[in-house]
Amino acid sequence: MSRRGRGRRPVLAAGRLLGLAIAGAAGAALVVAAAPVSLVAAAAVTMAWAGGWPPRRLYRAALWCLPMVAVWVVATAAAAQSWWQVAAAPYRAWLAMWHLAAAGSVLPAAVTIAPVAVPLGLLVGALAWSRRILAMQTGTGGLTPRAPAAFDRRQWRHQVRSARARIAAPGAVPLLSRNGAIVAGAVIRAAGHASSPLAAIPYRRLRSHQVVIGTTGTGKTTLLLRLWAGFLARGLQRHAAGAGYRPLLVVLDCKGGADSRRVGDRARRVLREAGARSTAIWPDEASLSLWELPPRQLTTTLVDMIEHGSGGAAYYADVMEAVVALAVDAPGGPPASAADFLSRLDAGWLAAAYAGSPDGQHTALLRPAAAHVSDVALRFRTLFRRLGEGLDGPGGFGDADAWYCILEGTSEIAVAEAQARALVDILASYAAQGQGSQREILLAVDEFSAVSRRLPIWQLYERARSLGLALQVSAQSWQGLAPHDDDRYRIAATADGGIWLLRTPNPEPAAGLAGRRPAADTSRRVLGAALWGHQGSSRMRDELVADPAIIRSLDTGQAAYIYRGGVTFVQVKRLVAAPAALAHEPAAPGKPVGRTAVTRPAAGAPGGEPRPVPPPDAGSLLDEAFGSETS
Amino acid sequence: MYGVQLDQLAAVLGVGESRARAVTASWRRARYAESARLGPGGPWIWLTRAGMAACGLPFPATTPALSRLAHLRAVAAVRLALEATSGYRAAGAFWRSERRLRVRVGGRVGLREHIPDGEVHWPDGTQAGWAGECWAVEAELTRKTVARTATIMREILSRTGDYGCPAAQVRVPGQPPRHARALYLCSPAARTVVARARNTIGALGARVEIRDLPPGADLPPPGLPRAGLSRAGLPRAGPSGPQP
Repeated sequence: MSRRGRGRRPVLAAGRLLGLAIAGAAGAALVVAAAPVSLVAAAAVTMAWAGGWPPRRLYRAALWCLPMVAVWVVATAAAAQSWWQVAAAPYRAWLAMWHLAAAGSVLPAAVTIAPVAVPLGLLVGALAWSRRILAMQTGTGGLTPRAPAAFDRRQWRHQVRSARARIAAPGAVPLLSRNGAIVAGAVIRAAGHASSPLAAIPYRRLRSHQVVIGTTGTGKTTLLLRLWAGFLARGLQRHAAGAGYRPLLVVLDCKGGADSRRVGDRARRVLREAGARSTAIWPDEASLSLWELPPRQLTTTLVDMIEHGSGGAAYYADVMEAVVALAVDAPGGPPASAADFLSRLDAGWLAAAYAGSPDGQHTALLRPAAAHVSDVALRFRTLFRRLGEGLDGPGGFGDADAWYCILEGTSEIAVAEAQARALVDILASYAAQGQGSQREILLAVDEFSAVSRRLPIWQLYERARSLGLALQVSAQSWQGLAPHDDDRYRIAATADGGIWLLRTPNPEPAAGLAGRRPAADTSRRVLGAALWGHQGSSRMRDELVADPAIIRSLDTGQAAYIYRGGVTFVQVKRLVAAPAALAHEPAAPGKPVGRTAVTRPAAGAPGGEPRPVPPPDAGSLLDEAFGSETS
Repeated sequence: MYGVQLDQLAAVLGVGESRARAVTASWRRARYAESARLGPGGPWIWLTRAGMAACGLPFPATTPALSRLAHLRAVAAVRLALEATSGYRAAGAFWRSERRLRVRVGGRVGLREHIPDGEVHWPDGTQAGWAGECWAVEAELTRKTVARTATIMREILSRTGDYGCPAAQVRVPGQPPRHARALYLCSPAARTVVARARNTIGALGARVEIRDLPPGADLPPPGLPRAGLSRAGLPRAGPSGPQP
């Protein structure tokens, strides 16, 4: 640099400072002169910052002011004598405001300027807030490079606070929106989805496949209960309006134990409030009939319920299938109960049953298998003893609006696997029949991978698709979805109803399914220790739409809903169920209670007939009320 | 009861239909009740949520289902006929409606649990020979199968626990039955089936009483005006009317 140039540097610096001072003074003068607009804009930005609002909300508020502006313009035009006066009305209002304010009439001054200042202030505030957010998103705002991250964390906290306040307000989050969508809760933040105060899922998405992932204690049950209740409530509405079949919810809770029973009881009360006439808890209080399956399906199901080995054991599997087929297809129809089936697993019975059969094939089949019939009977006797009475009828899925099936997948895995296989077959058979095909069925399976050895979950998926069932798979982790990664991706990638992610330590695989989006990555020049300038460069890079860091740190009751390349973070609204029915009398001491004590009244059993003596004659009273008894 | 038709309400209140209509209008103005012509005959009246709250009832406020109107009317007629008897009044008996039973049960009405149309509880310490008993009341308008009817009879007569009790207490061997008898009020069409079902359940059949539905229990055919219920012998209800 030349000597002359070095001499001009202080002059240029002083000129720059002077320019900045003039611009600042002019800006301050403008802010003061347009004080009403400045005040509204400042208030709008402050509220948006405190509530974590998106700028769109301020723009919308400004738009909602237009009717007020229109009324004000019409009123001014009616009172004015020329269009020039109408055009000058904002200026006159501004002058009048200052005069009134100077005279101490603050409220009249505010009313006078409000039609101009409020929409304009909101618009200015929205522009300023948009600019601030853009600066932070691109990394150009704030004093330090860490500022955007801190701003984002702060905004997340504000958004969570707003969403919690919204769901806490009575009546603010209904189960169904006006257009019939299922409202899951209040929106915390949305990326790639339209931002609205409430997270509403259209009913058709619940009629598609969904995946829910969340560890214990994250609010997964609360979310599932809300989705189930919404499915039933909306489905019943549509059915009443003639727009769809009656809904049926089937839940397979594959954990078992006391916790599942508590959830089942809560589900029953919640679903009752949603309009379900009856909720059957299987196998504690209701039963299903395995024996109503079509004979061919019954044979397959029975054989699959028994564990087989591989290699040489395949021979015995074939023998077992042959024996079971003979017992099921015996002349006179398939068995009606487990006892009936077991009584048929007898070489003598089978020989007698097929003695009159003109087809010699059965007899030829029976002869080599006869030596194994007693072994097969032993295995099925053991299986039915362990299964209990839950699959021995009476009953079918059509008898209730909702079924909560509890499988002891934690304590009795082999039994739960057999039950899962049988339940899915019964449901598939029901859905394929005439009556079941006239139901809109949602099958919700929780931790199905624990019991999916006999029925791979992808096979369940394929069957559900072919039968028109909606399937909702929930698990505590990505790994819990299925045993193999291919199956996990297959399940998640075909979840066209969306993926719900609650707090989970490994959200990346599922979060990656939301896709990526372009984002600006800005570097800033370091001026000195802890001092950064505003000069630098930006480049575009791709980032995940669903931020795994946020999902990993979600609080209880918060969920990320991934759908079509976007994500909505939701504060789920808990459904409050009616209190549980209280026992009329306490259980007698020493009597067993709970699952083992559930009594099953067999149809046709007289139940002990504790009073054989006829009651006293009440004929006189009944004659007075209803007339005499006629034969 | 889920709702009541105007002539039955007039019978409950012990007034004519025009006065009952005026009373209904006042309830509607107070938003305690709704009324509408839902089917043949007079209008139906049912409580709103505010009405339920005013009466201290925990039931959800719903419009009577169209498919159940005939049944609701029949049950209401049975209740009115029973409450009109001198024995009922003298014993201080009370009616426990299906609606109340269902609330106790919650959503647990599943495969096996049949809820009767009502229960009549006869308090202890009265002169009636059936004091201390609980009766199950069934109004049968249509024919079920004999097997189904017999199953329901057995279930009612063998039950030992209250509705809404834990599953383990529903039927406890050795405990006295909850319902000392089952009272079946039948239409002519259903009577034969009910009688045959009673014959199939053996000794339990001794605890089944079968009578005809009282007059006025049926819905009038569409298009025909309905004669009002006779008020003779009906007790005048208290200020809050009968409990649903």
